[in-house]
Amino acid sequence: MLDLIWLLPAFPLAGFLILAFTGGGLPKPVVATVGAGSIGLAFIVAALSSYEFLSSGQTSFQLTLWEWMAAGDFSSAFSFYLDGLTVVMILVISGVGFLIHLYSTGYMSDDPGYSRFFAYMNLFVAAMLVLVLADNLVLLYLGWEGVGLCSYLLIGFWYENPANGYAARKAFVVTRVGDTSMALGLFLLFTQLGTLNIQELMHNAGQQWQVGSGMAVAASLLLLGGAVGKSAQLPLQTWLPDAMAGPTPISALIHAATMVTAGVYLIARTHLLFELAPTVQSLVAWVGLITLLMAGFTALTQHDIKRILAYSTISQIGYMFLGLGVGAWSAAVFHLMTHAFFKALLFLAAGSVILSLHHEQSIFKMGGLRKHLPVSFWSFIVGSAALTALPLTSGYFSKDEILLAALESGGSGTLLWLGGVIGALFTAIYSFRLVFVVFFGECHHPAKEVSGWNMTAPLVVLGVLALLGGWIHIPVDAVFSHGEMAHEEAHPSLFIHALMIAIPIIGVGISYLFFCSRTWSAEKLVQSGLGAALHKFWFSGWGMDRLYQAVFVTPFVSLARLNRKDIIDLLIGLLVTLTSQANRLLVRTQTGYLRWYAASVMAGVIILIAIGALL
Amino acid sequence: METAITIQDLVPLLPVLVVTGVAVLAMLLIALKRNHTLIGATTIIGLGLALITAFLVLPFAGQQVTPLLMIDNFSLFFTIVILLAAGFIAVFSFPYLYHLKDEVEEYYLLLLIATIGALIMVSSNHFLSAFLGLETLSISLYAMIAYPLHSKEAVKFPVEASLKYLVLSAVSSALILFGIALLYAQTGSLQFTELAMTGGSVADGYFITALVLLFAGVGFKLSLAPFHMWTPDVYEGAPLPATMYLATVGKAAMMVLLLRFVVASQALSFHSVVVVIGCMAVLSILAGNLLALVQENLKRILAYSSIAHMGYLLIALIALDDASTRLGVEAISFYLIAYIVMSLGAFGVATVISSSEKEFDFVADYQGLFWREPWLALLLTAMLLSLAGIPLTVGFIGKFYVVLAGVEGSLWGLLLVLVVGSGISIYYYLRIVYRMLLQPQLDQAYREAGWDSIGSYAVLALLLALLLLLGVYPGFLMSIIEVVSVSI
Amino acid sequence: MQAIPFEQGLMLAAALFALGLIGVLTRRNVVFVLMCLEIMLNACGLAFVVSSARWQHADGQIMFLMILTLAAAEVAVGLGLIIQMFRKFQTVDINVLTQMRG
Repeated sequence: MLDLIWLLPAFPLAGFLILAFTGGGLPKPVVATVGAGSIGLAFIVAALSSYEFLSSGQTSFQLTLWEWMAAGDFSSAFSFYLDGLTVVMILVISGVGFLIHLYSTGYMSDDPGYSRFFAYMNLFVAAMLVLVLADNLVLLYLGWEGVGLCSYLLIGFWYENPANGYAARKAFVVTRVGDTSMALGLFLLFTQLGTLNIQELMHNAGQQWQVGSGMAVAASLLLLGGAVGKSAQLPLQTWLPDAMAGPTPISALIHAATMVTAGVYLIARTHLLFELAPTVQSLVAWVGLITLLMAGFTALTQHDIKRILAYSTISQIGYMFLGLGVGAWSAAVFHLMTHAFFKALLFLAAGSVILSLHHEQSIFKMGGLRKHLPVSFWSFIVGSAALTALPLTSGYFSKDEILLAALESGGSGTLLWLGGVIGALFTAIYSFRLVFVVFFGECHHPAKEVSGWNMTAPLVVLGVLALLGGWIHIPVDAVFSHGEMAHEEAHPSLFIHALMIAIPIIGVGISYLFFCSRTWSAEKLVQSGLGAALHKFWFSGWGMDRLYQAVFVTPFVSLARLNRKDIIDLLIGLLVTLTSQANRLLVRTQTGYLRWYAASVMAGVIILIAIGALL
Repeated sequence: METAITIQDLVPLLPVLVVTGVAVLAMLLIALKRNHTLIGATTIIGLGLALITAFLVLPFAGQQVTPLLMIDNFSLFFTIVILLAAGFIAVFSFPYLYHLKDEVEEYYLLLLIATIGALIMVSSNHFLSAFLGLETLSISLYAMIAYPLHSKEAVKFPVEASLKYLVLSAVSSALILFGIALLYAQTGSLQFTELAMTGGSVADGYFITALVLLFAGVGFKLSLAPFHMWTPDVYEGAPLPATMYLATVGKAAMMVLLLRFVVASQALSFHSVVVVIGCMAVLSILAGNLLALVQENLKRILAYSSIAHMGYLLIALIALDDASTRLGVEAISFYLIAYIVMSLGAFGVATVISSSEKEFDFVADYQGLFWREPWLALLLTAMLLSLAGIPLTVGFIGKFYVVLAGVEGSLWGLLLVLVVGSGISIYYYLRIVYRMLLQPQLDQAYREAGWDSIGSYAVLALLLALLLLLGVYPGFLMSIIEVVSVSI
Repeated sequence: MQAIPFEQGLMLAAALFALGLIGVLTRRNVVFVLMCLEIMLNACGLAFVVSSARWQHADGQIMFLMILTLAAAEVAVGLGLIIQMFRKFQTVDINVLTQMRG
């Protein structure tokens, strides 16, 4: 079975090819079967091979499909690598991916681009699986760029609206900044360590580089650049909220459950490298903390249901980065998994709400939907509970693990922990703000649930996973065993435990008082001077977009305007002129006269002999 | 020196002998009964038979047959490649000539004889056999180029193309011969290896003159700048299958011969020879790509692009200077195969819609091909993208290989030129693709695909499969090449 | 009898070769162009014969035989083409062959 893991990306890829080459000519049920079925098959393969892998007790498994090319010292193979980390990733990607595909068969059923949608989705899943299964940097990069491309295509899926195209471009350009950094990092690793194989790279890095050596710092910094781009962390987080322009299942699959966590995966995969560069590792933690706080505050002020979820995604990935930064590798991966469950659930439930209200996304135009949309309501309750990390939900276990690891990490760990706890409070407030505003209070729009079984079933399954996913033990011990701090379950005091259980509940309480019982008025808070300013500031995502506009875009545009007829343009223009002049000159030599051709042969000979004799 | 030919010597020569036998048989058949289908089939089957014998004699590889020919793995490998290419071209020629109102059977004779010449060329390690093979190939090509000269509303200008090729090719042959004569005068031997033994001990200037004359002549046959000017005219004027033959088999055989010569004679140990070849490479890459930019004739575009591609190959050839690595040989071998696949495919698409009565060789003729003949358009697009070196096609791997060889040899300047050239080339390749996507305007009457075209379409499909297969999974071919390139 | 020094023989060959090449470049009549090609090829042949005499073996002379044969074949095809050209253009002026250019 393990020899068949190549089927994992092959099924979605086949699905993509079928859908792409029939060009929308297939009837919808067939498209749905191919689109969702291919992912379902991939999940079955993933489940079976994971079972076999785990029961065999191996720590890793490598499958070389073929040597892509080997010439001289350079060799690159299509080969896959399976270990505990990969097992978690493939199960999440194919499992959650399948549920979202199933949901999409209902959600997108009225869309004219039905076939195109599934084609892109399948391609995305294939690329994502290649990314996590990759054994070498070339394949990893292929997957990395592949998911980026699909993300671009899917954000701009409704391309008739120019705003969506703009959002897609923004996502592409911003993540490209990170990608460039990552590509540089990969080149650096390759040239310095002389191999493309990731495991060998890590091994060689440990052998050749001292802890804290310049090369290790440079390489891990460059990789971190790629990770923050893909995972929408500070300072490259601005693309994710706009990426919500795509259809909601996209947001669930790509911008919540899988692609945006690729950065986390990358760091976890190369964690040995980060351990060689402790300063960069703590930078990871701080990036995570600051991002999670900023995004948490911002989420509190948004009123587009998907943007709230987007900011919450940024914030939760911040937690994962925090976990990575303090060396709690498995906790970060654990949170990645639980987050995939509950955030996909929330997005899909939000999708149902949006669909029921005919693509209304502002939460203040919703309200009192509890009775009308029971399935969505309960999904939201479960998802938000997990997001808030209420005790015994999946989010509780994973977030708890990260925060405790931060606390134990010593040094500035207490500070990191404190920030994480404050973040948790805000998480509780904003997520239940969403629940209370949308589902309680008076009803503005009476709505009816439009979902069929294919939309309900994924919600139920994801709901169960979001609730109980915390009890899953992820099999990554072998992967991180050499790296993880040997904390023998240093039992934190009861107070800490109590506090961490209490914080989310307090948050829910605050949220209740503000947004449900209206005991406290949020409006009043917002209207007060400081509150208004803060609100405005937070609402705009800490003014990051404006900042980038001011710092990068505007100067660039004005520079461009200044330079309309200037150096670079001139240079390029010169190049074009030069080329076409050279062309014109050369074309004139093709006179068609045989004697002229013979003369050119003779002249060539004489000149070459002269060159040869003189040199 | 033992020069008598024994039976053991004849065994490795079997592929050449089979092709010769088939040529004689075809000639006899023509005398008995003129039948296009019969002769065409005989040719194709005969080439197939020769292909099989080429595989069968593989165990006998590594044998010097008389002082003239060296049958080793490398020569047998290219024997197979050339036989395949010649067979494919025969398949393409059949429907193309089907409606020619003239006697078409002798065309196949010429094709077979040219193939004999090419086979001799890839096996020779002696100037005499090399020259004999080269002239056999060239003289047959003169006639192939001029073949449809009675055709009324004819393909272009076969007489003009043929005469131009004949005169210039004879000049270049004379240059090669004079170069050989000078080398012979100094070394007293016509063996390739002799130069390596005496090199350095004799006055350099003398050798350099001789070698430059030799490389100039070879450069002409490979259409390298500044000896490239005949290429577009001959490509355009010749009937498509002859163009195809000239572009693939003709170039490949010459390149293999050059490779053998350079490896055996260690001619690159003369620094100025490296400089001269470097100049030719730079000029070819730039001139080829620049000339193609605004060209409106597909055949001429492909002619110019072939100039550039041969320039890329020279980079790998120069990389052989560093004798420690075989990467240059491997790169050239792979690139030649890639180039043969791409050229056959690109010209093949033109051939299946053209006939000897009417050729569609202007880019305008292909406008809207995507809407009229989607599969052919897809095929041509794949071939053009591969020529441009887009990843996942064989062209990319070939170029990558060449770059790798260049990097090993630290030829940074030449690689820069390669990058610039490739950049320019994307423009004119994509221009054709773009034109194919436009709405069709003119209503060209492409040749109807009858039963006679089945083979052509099958070959095209095979070429596309090869293009993608070797682009995604080149390891297979690479390992073969690695093995065979050890033997030279 | 004193043998002709081999350098002088080569010089003669080179001179003939140059003459032939100049002829190809300057003659407009295709028939003369073919004749000049013959001169070039024969110059090469002469060089081979001279060199062969220097080394006292027959390789160069065999090469000369080959050159003779091939030159004959080349001229045969060439003359055939010239006849076709004359039929088509009613002239053997090489400058009419300029329909393809650019």
